[in-house]
Amino acid sequence: MVTVTVNVNGEPRTASVPPETTLLRLLREQFNLTGAKLGCDVGDCGACTVMVDGKSVNSCLMLAGQADGRDVLTIEGLATLERLHPLQEAFEQLGSLQCGFCGPGILMSAKALLDENPDPSEQDIRDALAGNLCRCTGYIKMIEAIQGVARADGARPAPKSA
Amino acid sequence: MDKKSAVIEKQARLQEVEALLKAPAAAPLAPLPREVLVPEARQQTPAVRQRATRPDGRLHGLGQTKYIDDYYLPGMLYAKIKRAGIASARILRIDTSEALKMPGVMAVITGKDVPCNSFGPSLKDQPVLADERVFHAGDGVAAVAAVTEQIAAEALEKITVEYEPIRPVLDPLESLQLETPGLHAPNPNIYGHKVIRKGDVEKGFAQSYRIFEGSYRTQMVEHVPLEPHASVATWDANGRVTIYSTLGRITLGRADISRTIGVPMSRVRVIATVVGGNFGGKNEITTEPVLALLAKKTGRPVKCTFTRPEEFLASTTRHPLVMDYKTGVTKEGKILARQIRLVLDGGAYCSWSETTLGKACILSAGPYQIDNLYAEAFVVYTNKTMTGAMRGFGAPQVCFAYESQMDDMAKALGIDPLQIRLTNALREGSLSPTSQKLHSVVVRETLLQAAQRFGWNEDGGGNGAQS
Amino acid sequence: MKAFEVVAARDARHAVALLAEHTPTAKVKVIAGGTDLLADLKFASASHAPDVVVDISRAEDLRTIAVTGGGLSIGALVTHTEIMASPAIREMFPALVDAAHTIGAVQTRNLGTLGGNLVTAVPSVDSGPTLVALDAQVTVLGPGGERRMPLAEFFVGPRRTALKPDELLVEILIPTENLGKPACFLKFGLRKGQALALVNVAASFWVDAKTQTFRAPRVALGAVAPKVIHATSAEAYLEGRAIAPEAMAEAGRLAVGDAKPISDFRASAEYRKHLIAVLTRRALEGAYDVWQKKQSPAGRAR
Repeated sequence: MVTVTVNVNGEPRTASVPPETTLLRLLREQFNLTGAKLGCDVGDCGACTVMVDGKSVNSCLMLAGQADGRDVLTIEGLATLERLHPLQEAFEQLGSLQCGFCGPGILMSAKALLDENPDPSEQDIRDALAGNLCRCTGYIKMIEAIQGVARADGARPAPKSA
Repeated sequence: MDKKSAVIEKQARLQEVEALLKAPAAAPLAPLPREVLVPEARQQTPAVRQRATRPDGRLHGLGQTKYIDDYYLPGMLYAKIKRAGIASARILRIDTSEALKMPGVMAVITGKDVPCNSFGPSLKDQPVLADERVFHAGDGVAAVAAVTEQIAAEALEKITVEYEPIRPVLDPLESLQLETPGLHAPNPNIYGHKVIRKGDVEKGFAQSYRIFEGSYRTQMVEHVPLEPHASVATWDANGRVTIYSTLGRITLGRADISRTIGVPMSRVRVIATVVGGNFGGKNEITTEPVLALLAKKTGRPVKCTFTRPEEFLASTTRHPLVMDYKTGVTKEGKILARQIRLVLDGGAYCSWSETTLGKACILSAGPYQIDNLYAEAFVVYTNKTMTGAMRGFGAPQVCFAYESQMDDMAKALGIDPLQIRLTNALREGSLSPTSQKLHSVVVRETLLQAAQRFGWNEDGGGNGAQS
Repeated sequence: MKAFEVVAARDARHAVALLAEHTPTAKVKVIAGGTDLLADLKFASASHAPDVVVDISRAEDLRTIAVTGGGLSIGALVTHTEIMASPAIREMFPALVDAAHTIGAVQTRNLGTLGGNLVTAVPSVDSGPTLVALDAQVTVLGPGGERRMPLAEFFVGPRRTALKPDELLVEILIPTENLGKPACFLKFGLRKGQALALVNVAASFWVDAKTQTFRAPRVALGAVAPKVIHATSAEAYLEGRAIAPEAMAEAGRLAVGDAKPISDFRASAEYRKHLIAVLTRRALEGAYDVWQKKQSPAGRAR
């Protein structure tokens, strides 16, 4: 067993797990954060996407021990008790999620994109979502939602030049 | 008014009231044709162009929607199914003793432990766990419940199965031959058949300027719902089983679960939760009876979530079709007669094949007015992953065939592919292949509008918009 | 996934020491980004699974990108995302950035490393052709110290490299004489995202400015042989020849003869041959474009 301490959504959490445990299973089974989903378990579908030290990763392809001491942000850490994250709000307004299974992963990929590039082109968004498969909704409404949030953010000071 | 007449009047009144209160045995016959309100074609309703949000959209976005795999019941065990890995064989022996010895393994069952080892949404031809015969590589042959998924998976490797291989039938056309031994003997391999006749095809062919023949095939397709199949079974103190499942048709599934585990339907409760994509692939039970039996044996809740490989191997897929089309046309491309033979590769079990067969057959002529039609469809068993419901129930496959042939004919006759479709398209009041009178038909209008929008004629016409 | 022990390495030397310690008695695997290893192990049978996994993901000494005396040195742990973001690589080798961009998707590029991609040694390895076309060397660290070899020889066959069980790939080196050599990488997959290459091609050459001829031309092909190969007859044909569209097209045709593509469920050998010819020509054109842009000040600014 290895003892892993991860800073999850701003809070340090510790668990003792077998060394082969993935970050995804650590989050779901030890910390009861079931937002990240197990879809394919081999890094194709992106349903398990979370952010580690600010970068989006497939949590099914990372050992829990490799995340030891790092910052992990999951879908559960996006909203506060007071308000939804703008991306969550836009996805809800535009009906961007149907069955919703891919949603947590898509939203984390979108968040990682906007953190790095507040003014993405449509191609940038498509590229950012290439690792997230959706089988019901399609990507159009998701892209619209992400563009809407980016534009709203862009109205604030210091948008990044293209 | 004297007393007597008052009594008579009262009685008459009572009879009147009684007659009013008494419901008629049958509703009075309404005159035919009955007037039916049919909305105008393309009529705009207030919902059109409105943004629709979903009631579950917020929880989806918050990651708070609970799918089956997010459930944990106290004391829950994890089940794994051993897959045959061989397309066709007789099972000689299954040895589960080594698996049972493993620490953490709580129960192992095989087909012999299933009270009634057959189910299916239409034909009851599918075993819960294969006991005597393996019909396709994805068949389950044993199931393990253990304290972790990892132990369950390792226990599967400890189970040994001795097979006597039987030559598999993989080609639907081979299966169609009557001399091919029946997979599910004594039943023949052809387990569904449909014929649609309209007019006289021989007469139509005789009048044709040219006759085109073509054979078209489509491949097997998996639904790939992002959420794999999953279920949890748990028994209560009163001997009732509750099953949480990704199942789309719970009442049908309940009947099959009740039948296979030998428990009255009143003691089976099926709870369908939010499903992470179905597309027709979650319309029937998979491991639910196995989990119910393992849960009963261990006295603990049992969960099973398919791996992605299992999703491809052991859930239903879209039927591959072999489609033979013979079409007679005039010089101008007007279809005079069409003869079609469809062979559906049904895989190992029936599943929703009969629905698919019917719909494929009815739609096989395409959205075209054809007076002389003969369409015949067969569905046959093969030793492959079973095929069942998937978006469209056979419609996409036949569309590929008839539209491919339309293009072949247009090219050979030197007609614009759009024109040959306009010439033949169904019109208001046309009769469908099954002679249903069609209303609100806008095939031509749709084609013309689409052609105009994507600039069909802009590069000189006929060659499409691709160059 | 089967149970295994994980031992974490502080740096490259520690990793090699751990390999030396465990390889004699156990089945050992190395994990870096994990995108290939864990995907492989998820459904592997017990006989396939390792007993010990050496985790090198925190060996910071393997994470550097630097121009050294020997050339451009890229640490084995540099991720595909880091390659795409590196100012030095973007300036000298846009083809490497393009190649990295075609690997997996954002999430896998954030985890996956250049070294990890190369040691998989699959015939379609997307990091391979550009580096082979730039005559890259690899540095391998073992108990007896370092050894260096051309990347083209590091690849031995499908999923096989020259790496011994107790050795670690630590560095990829593009030699000094090739710094800034114009190159172009092209990949053809069945989709734009997350697709394996049906064919991938990289071309690189210097332009002799006076004579406008090819100098040191290299064409590397992936997914069309057991490993990434040099299209030797195309390279020989181009050497010293005047730069012209016809020459590039002819090199494409010759490259087909250098390859041994197979037919599988993704594409037929015939189709792959067609792709080799087309992509080789286009890669040569692309490399020439890179050179031209570097010549004109306007192009540089753009």
